[in-house]
Amino acid sequence: MKSAKFDHQRMVTLEEAVAALGSADGEARIMGGGQSLGPMMNLRLAQPDLLIDLSRVGGLDGIEVAGDTIRIGARVTHARIEDGAVPGVTGAYMQFVASGISYRSVRNRGTIGGSVAHADPSADWPSALLALGGDVVIAGQDGERRMPLDGFQIGPFATGLGFEEILTGFELPTLGEGAKCGYYKVNRKPGEFADAIGAVVIGSAPRVVCGATEAAPFRVVAAEERLAAGAAEISVADARDMIAAQDPGFDDYDLQIHAVALSRAVGRAFA
Amino acid sequence: MTELTLKINGEDVTADVEPRLSLADFVRDHRRLTGTHLGCEHGVCGACTVLMNGEPVRSCITFAVAADGTEITTIEGFDDDDPMTMLRQAFHENHALQCGYCTPGMLVAARDIVTRLPDADEDRVRLELAGNLCRCTGYVGIVNAILSVIEKRQA
Amino acid sequence: MADGGATDGKGIGARVLRKEDWRHLAGKAKFTGDFQRPGQKEMAFVRSDVAHARIVSVTKPAGFEDSVFTAADMPGMRPMRAPSKLPGYKGADYPALAIGKVRFVGEPVAVCVADTRAEAEDLAQATVVEYEELPAVVDMLDAKAPDAPRLHEDWDDNLVMETFADDDFSKIADRATVIVKREYRMARHAMNPMEGRAVFAEWDDRTDQLMMWTSTQVPHLIRTGLAEFLGLDQRQVRVIAPDVGGGFGCKALLQPEEVIAGWLTRHLEAPVRWIEDRREHLVTGANCREHHYFVTIHATPEGRILGLDCDVTIDAGAYSVYPFTNGLEGAMAHGNLPGPYDLEVYRCRTQTMTTNKPPLMPYRGVARPGVCYAMEMTIDALAREIGMESHLIRAMNMVKQEQLPFMSIAKKHFDSGNYPKSVEMVVDMIGLDKIRAEQAAAKDDSRLIGVGMGSYVEQTAHGTSVFASWGVAMVPGYEQATVRLTPDGGLELRIGVQSHGQGMETSMAQMAYEVLGIDPEKVMVTHGDTGLTPYSTGTYASRSMVMAGGATARACRVLAERMEIIAAHLLQCERAEVSVRGGKIVSGKGEVSFAEIGRVWYLNPDELPDDVDQGGVEVTMGYRPEPDSGAFTYASHACKVAVDIDTGKVKILDYAIVEDCGTIVNPMIVEGQTYGGATQGIGTALLEESTYDSFGNPGASTFADYMMPGATDAPHYRIDHMESPSPFTEYGIKGMGEGGTIPTPAAIGNAINDALKGIGAEVTETPFTPRRVLAAIAAATQNRQGDAA
Repeated sequence: MKSAKFDHQRMVTLEEAVAALGSADGEARIMGGGQSLGPMMNLRLAQPDLLIDLSRVGGLDGIEVAGDTIRIGARVTHARIEDGAVPGVTGAYMQFVASGISYRSVRNRGTIGGSVAHADPSADWPSALLALGGDVVIAGQDGERRMPLDGFQIGPFATGLGFEEILTGFELPTLGEGAKCGYYKVNRKPGEFADAIGAVVIGSAPRVVCGATEAAPFRVVAAEERLAAGAAEISVADARDMIAAQDPGFDDYDLQIHAVALSRAVGRAFA
Repeated sequence: MTELTLKINGEDVTADVEPRLSLADFVRDHRRLTGTHLGCEHGVCGACTVLMNGEPVRSCITFAVAADGTEITTIEGFDDDDPMTMLRQAFHENHALQCGYCTPGMLVAARDIVTRLPDADEDRVRLELAGNLCRCTGYVGIVNAILSVIEKRQA
Repeated sequence: MADGGATDGKGIGARVLRKEDWRHLAGKAKFTGDFQRPGQKEMAFVRSDVAHARIVSVTKPAGFEDSVFTAADMPGMRPMRAPSKLPGYKGADYPALAIGKVRFVGEPVAVCVADTRAEAEDLAQATVVEYEELPAVVDMLDAKAPDAPRLHEDWDDNLVMETFADDDFSKIADRATVIVKREYRMARHAMNPMEGRAVFAEWDDRTDQLMMWTSTQVPHLIRTGLAEFLGLDQRQVRVIAPDVGGGFGCKALLQPEEVIAGWLTRHLEAPVRWIEDRREHLVTGANCREHHYFVTIHATPEGRILGLDCDVTIDAGAYSVYPFTNGLEGAMAHGNLPGPYDLEVYRCRTQTMTTNKPPLMPYRGVARPGVCYAMEMTIDALAREIGMESHLIRAMNMVKQEQLPFMSIAKKHFDSGNYPKSVEMVVDMIGLDKIRAEQAAAKDDSRLIGVGMGSYVEQTAHGTSVFASWGVAMVPGYEQATVRLTPDGGLELRIGVQSHGQGMETSMAQMAYEVLGIDPEKVMVTHGDTGLTPYSTGTYASRSMVMAGGATARACRVLAERMEIIAAHLLQCERAEVSVRGGKIVSGKGEVSFAEIGRVWYLNPDELPDDVDQGGVEVTMGYRPEPDSGAFTYASHACKVAVDIDTGKVKILDYAIVEDCGTIVNPMIVEGQTYGGATQGIGTALLEESTYDSFGNPGASTFADYMMPGATDAPHYRIDHMESPSPFTEYGIKGMGEGGTIPTPAAIGNAINDALKGIGAEVTETPFTPRRVLAAIAAATQNRQGDAA
């Protein structure tokens, strides 16, 4: 399984990279850690004409706390997050999520920015970060802009990123000491893609996400209302109703496991 | 063709390669280091695991050009490495290999476990091994070998 | 009489650490993909993406027509054909590259050759094949319909073979008042050795030979097949298996890609290489295990099983593999369904159907995991119906030790062992009483605990008479081994079987040690090379230790006699006064080392006696056990599970094994084989499935969809051994390489059904995925509500 031919360009600045995306002949993709794109290219499911290599571009690896925001560069690896590089309650939540992504050798190369930009519906970060809330930071021809994580992913492998834009980082909320977080993944084996994700972050207000839906992850409104009203658990049966109310197009099994994920994520948040 | 400069097992290497050449194929076919094996070419089985700057990575889904400027250690590059020496002996004593195909990747992953997680228990070891498939041993010898090295290093 | 004097732990029974380990640990092993030759070319295939179609046209990429070959471009390459003498068996050609029609997704249509694999894949991508699609037959039961699409046009139907053995159930009708009927499926999946198939072919002009390095279990069979289908003399083909990264059966057959590589290298006058990638394996290697069963047990209310009635359907895929054919599993299903049980009547029909899926291959255990699952699950269903513990039913109905040797109702000649004792021991090991108490006291009704078991008898190292009765073209005969003393007193041992994980470089050396006392470190075991080793049908059917080990013992004994003649002369004493012992030849008057014998024979034959055996210090001997109806290994496995009834996930909490493979040569290797086999069984039971849509398109083409057992799926196994030597083999050894896979799906399925018995739910289809577990629970819940209504 060998990739099709492509050109490779090493960029030194972000501006260069954006320009290269704009001027490319054919399909150009950003080469992040390569852990999602690599398999797809080996399988020839993706055959870009040009891979733009950002490994020499600075400013994409930082983790900085600025007041009530944590700024995380797109190129921060899952392994760094697993090892506790993000501070505070937000960091603890992210550490838990990171440690369940694939395997350590993949986490050493896979990046949080790459994961969200690639937007595999079964990936962890799109769901986990949606539950945190915050913004995606994007570099384009007109400079830098932000998009909220709410609505950033619009479908499987589809986001609000323009063709000539690069995801450069995230601005995530610094959760307070009393914030509650829970994340639960249903999968057949550790490290495999999720069949269902439940993500709960109760910071200033509850945010509950149903993820690994084969489409974009979505917030479960009824669950957020229940938690806002003071509930400390949501039964699987109730979770089924709450998720079904948003018409996700699940068969009975999918509804069941997404409800379990939601219910158990709430359980972990209050554990 | 892209120019590539890196270190492999301590040796400086420069080459001109097609961008699509994987790091695994580069070390195997261009550098004749055939100890690193291809088992799936989509990052799941772990047979291709090598160290990049001391950290285990999947060489099958890493383009060689992405390894530019890094230090790669393949299974052939651990002769003077204490943890690896201990693991090799432990694998031998615990019958942790049968056909041997998964073994180089398994050893690199095992070395990461014993050095990064010196207090790991059996459940943790098994979890960390999820990314290395073995079809022959049922993992019994492998887990026993890793636990025995963890114990020795704690002593 | 030679006697190794095995007192220092290197012969039979010793946990000798493996000699072959170090090259693997150092990354210095040589698998087929590790060879390189200047000027070598790489092969990539254009494979059918439709399950059933006529090939209308193949358009090669412009400018590269000479690099792309279809069957029409390869004159002299004949379709493979695996004959069978089984009555009613229908054969068909299996062309290496499709001719006129494709019959499964993944069937190779054209081969592309280039300097690199990537470029060869570029050519494959640029080759356009036009198909006229035909309706596909995907399910083996649908294949039986009179109007089902037919794969082989000269057949009247899709039936490869039918076996039918009838019996008179009226004999038991008045006593067998408990009748338990079930329907089961075992899903198709792939074998997935970590090294896929691989072939490296080169034509040697000096010897006028096709040299083929290939990842195979059966080099001599490959050699014979290649000669036949390439139109070469047998002497013109040499096959070498270097290090082989697992096989499990998919490498015990001739591969189309081997035939193609053999043709291409001669035509191109360049070495050619094909390395199977994982997607190719998951698609074209989705070739095993797929059976359907209707099982009815006729029993007394006390649990005595008097009759067994089965209808078995086997999904044989599109073609018949060479040489074992796709008829093998039907015959094996019939012979093994009764298991170790003493039945009065047995009726069994098997139908082997051809479908638009990859050709069926014999995966470790072959038909036995399926039939054991069908029988053992039904026994547990009987147990639940009459309110009796299933292990008591098993022990009651098994052939007893005092009845052995015993001809089973399926004509298997059980040799030695205590089958009920294995049941008793494993029940004790798993702690059945404790688990029952735990179940009774359980509070958490979302996590249900269950315990189950499975028992089997396995025919191993079956020989000429058995394979001949199956009508297979390549019947194993006398297994040969060659031993040769080296000038410095070491030993070269050459065997025709091929180790691919079983540690034969060590275990066979242990056999040499057992007879001669020579340190295994001084024994060089050569195998896998048809040019260097005596003929053997190879490694499969758990035969190598018995057959090649037995031949090794025989050859070593003859070598010992020849050395004793020389030693007697050197020691100036009578022949009867010397004997080989502990790695040298000793007498009352002194001793002679093997090195000394070597020196005299090779360097100073002037010192040889007049009565020396002129055959020298190289001996080839043949061996076959008598009778060769097989050495019967058996085991009982027991398993404790937790079923999460919210998600349907099953976790194995404990797993116990009691096995008896006769005299154990290397317990470490026996345990390793058992754990590995059991883990594959867990894959069959819980994880592995090659799915198809109604058009025959495969669903599981990567490890993202196809789940392999990993370190968190395999439990911390516990094992105990019994040793009932075979009365018929050298040292009483029996084969055991496959056994671990056999009762695992049964034990796990039974444990799940035990956990769910309070709900009345049963799983009946492998793998027991969360979806199937939840569906079983839902169905049972609905039934109950229906009953209550």
